[in-house]
Amino acid sequence: MKSNNNHTAAPKDQREVLVVEGIQKMYGNRRALKGLTFTLLAGRVMGFLGPNGAGKTTSIRILTTIMEPDAGHFTVDGIEFDQPEKIRRKIGVLPENLGFPRQMTAVEYLVYFGQLYGLPPQSAKTNAMRLLNVVGLENRTKSLISSFSHGMRQRLGIARALVNNPVVVFLDEPTLGLDPRGQQELLLLIQRIAREHQTGVILCSHMLSEIEGICDDVIILSSGQVVAQGAVNSVIGDIQRNIARVRVPPENVDTSLELLSAIPNVFKVSSDPQMRGWLSVELADFIAADSQSGNLRNAILKVLIQSEIPVLSYEAEGGRLQDVFLQLTEEVIK
Amino acid sequence: MSTTSVVEKDAQERMVDQAAEKGRSRPVWWLVFIRELADLWIGGKALNMILIYSVLMGIMVYVYSYNSELSLIPPKEMVYEMLKNAMAVSLFIGLVIGADMLSGERERNTLESLLLTPAKRGQIVFGKFLAGISPWPAALLIAIPYLIVVSQGDEVLGPAILWGAITGSILVPAYTGLGMLVSFWSSSNKVSYFVSLGVYILFLVPAQLPGRAQTGAAGQFLQWVNPLAAVNHFLSKHLVNYRTIAEFWTWLISPVAFAALVLGLLFVIAGPGLRLEAGRSIKFLKRLGSRTSTVIILLAILITSVYPAMAFQTGNTQAENLSITIDLDTAIVKTGDKVEFNTVVTNLGSSPSLPLIVAMNIINLNAQGDVVDPEDWSPQRTQYSESLAPGGSISHAWIINTILDGDYMVYMVLIPAPGSVDATSHPVASPGIHLTVTQFTRLNPGGVLPYAIGGPVVVLIGILVLYRIRRKQVDND
Repeated sequence: MKSNNNHTAAPKDQREVLVVEGIQKMYGNRRALKGLTFTLLAGRVMGFLGPNGAGKTTSIRILTTIMEPDAGHFTVDGIEFDQPEKIRRKIGVLPENLGFPRQMTAVEYLVYFGQLYGLPPQSAKTNAMRLLNVVGLENRTKSLISSFSHGMRQRLGIARALVNNPVVVFLDEPTLGLDPRGQQELLLLIQRIAREHQTGVILCSHMLSEIEGICDDVIILSSGQVVAQGAVNSVIGDIQRNIARVRVPPENVDTSLELLSAIPNVFKVSSDPQMRGWLSVELADFIAADSQSGNLRNAILKVLIQSEIPVLSYEAEGGRLQDVFLQLTEEVIK
Repeated sequence: MSTTSVVEKDAQERMVDQAAEKGRSRPVWWLVFIRELADLWIGGKALNMILIYSVLMGIMVYVYSYNSELSLIPPKEMVYEMLKNAMAVSLFIGLVIGADMLSGERERNTLESLLLTPAKRGQIVFGKFLAGISPWPAALLIAIPYLIVVSQGDEVLGPAILWGAITGSILVPAYTGLGMLVSFWSSSNKVSYFVSLGVYILFLVPAQLPGRAQTGAAGQFLQWVNPLAAVNHFLSKHLVNYRTIAEFWTWLISPVAFAALVLGLLFVIAGPGLRLEAGRSIKFLKRLGSRTSTVIILLAILITSVYPAMAFQTGNTQAENLSITIDLDTAIVKTGDKVEFNTVVTNLGSSPSLPLIVAMNIINLNAQGDVVDPEDWSPQRTQYSESLAPGGSISHAWIINTILDGDYMVYMVLIPAPGSVDATSHPVASPGIHLTVTQFTRLNPGGVLPYAIGGPVVVLIGILVLYRIRRKQVDND
């Protein structure tokens, strides 16, 4: 995915738009959230990750005042959580399953919500036209929502979430059901909104590549507790495993195993019985620094090339958010 | 995707903010009301239901006029029956619309976005409620031409429209509110509809009970406490039997109390607690429990203090101390006509009378004294009154709808109700009315047909006009 993201650490002078401390929620005897704590800064996109049942939707519903926490507290732009009506004026939300009145046009829909936020009719209309322009629906203002594609409805949902110029926007699975182009356009739009309007964005998604692509920060939830949080690069770096995966022709597997095992600081080499030709090369634990790790990975390639074994594929396992996610959530489940 | 610059956007936002400061925002309930109104009436279920309603009314009025047996029913009674049915259908429409209002939005995933706005929950519920009762004025308007047709110029038309509007305006909001309350507590539309229709049938059941089950203190109480049955009883007495409002106003207590209870629960307790999930808040349940029990206790006190049939008195007046008179001696009428008369019962004794029953009897003189079943001839065979004070009297109005031609004697029997199983009383007979019934008349079905067909056609044209207006408002791509 193309993006301008460089996963920078949060600048110290940025405004805190969402501060969450120790949020807990019980469903009967089950603890759905166990002390959720984090801070979102203005203009940054925070990815909210977790397997099904991890507590993502509960967190979003609490932070959007749809549900009350059992313990803990949060503020939105300095407003305490016990003033839900004031908080609702400051937030915009795209719920996971957002329904639309089918007999309304796009502009009628946004005018209606604009007025619910207190805008007079004419201002609400001006605002609606501006937002439809922002989300690229300026040519479909008077079309019935029932005639919209799924992607267009998601864009309209985002426009609705922005109708009150919020300081924090919550987007729950915004790209679900969209084609790859639609996903990319929508994610770029989200990033642009955060940057240009200095809006804090919470992005819930199962699509780890999109979180990695556009989010500045990430929180990984598992069984109601935070298992990792911070800038995306930092989270990946903390968890990165020293494993390289190499693919060679099946007839060269045995030779390759011998050659690679002989390299200093290579801890273990194994072949994948399910996928013939794939070798897993585990580096020693103390190989942590990027320069050391890079040299060793080059050595793996060098040995194979010098022995005239074709390298069909090479990848560093543990360098992606997906690997971090799988490892952390697996550990908690165990 | 647009490439509008930040500067341009900021300028636009400032413009919006300035406009917001200058203009006047509208109350949430009004916005929700207008939105829901459009939803219900532009291609929505209200329009479809009103169309079905108008067709039903057309069929009903045609059947009344075409069926010779039914057309013999006097205009007053036909007006009452039409009004009763119009109201029953309107209540059904209100209940069904109410039952979909909240659970339907939950199911269509449109409620969450509404709850995410700073709009007060109570105002959202109020706006929806107002839209929910909107079919009632339309239903009443549609019913008026049919009432005019079946009234055949009878003076009952004015009071029928007036009291139909008043009682309907009590019951329809109550039923719509009840549907919304059920919807509030239901997580799915299926449950909401099922429960609402169950309640609707429950209110209809007393009318289907055998006649004996509807009389007596328990039967009367059951009717009195059932808001629908009570309204029907009130309308029947006032429109058909010439009874005054002063006599029967107490029958409006249960509909008013029912409406107050339902709307109180909806707006004071349920509305402010509207949320995404249905009825799962323990805090809310506790609050509801304490408030509802107070309301129920107050209601029970009200019912027991005002229900007239519960205020039984016992007396020991002998039958000889009672008299009954009739204000009509003879009448020559046609079949299909109605005969109206009054009886006056007087307690000539020095102590209170027992509760009294006045029963109507009709004897066919041409057929050597055959008894005519008054049930076919009169909407009311007996009338009941409380104990009469010494010297006190009470008047009863009666109607006879002449079914068959012939020579009849009508007389009344006054029966003091015995106070216990081992006691009896002495019935007293009134003077008779010599009734001569001559000829047959009936409503012309051909004349009714234009109204029967015209109503639904007018509604259909209205729907098409609305549809056309809407088509012009939107892009049809």
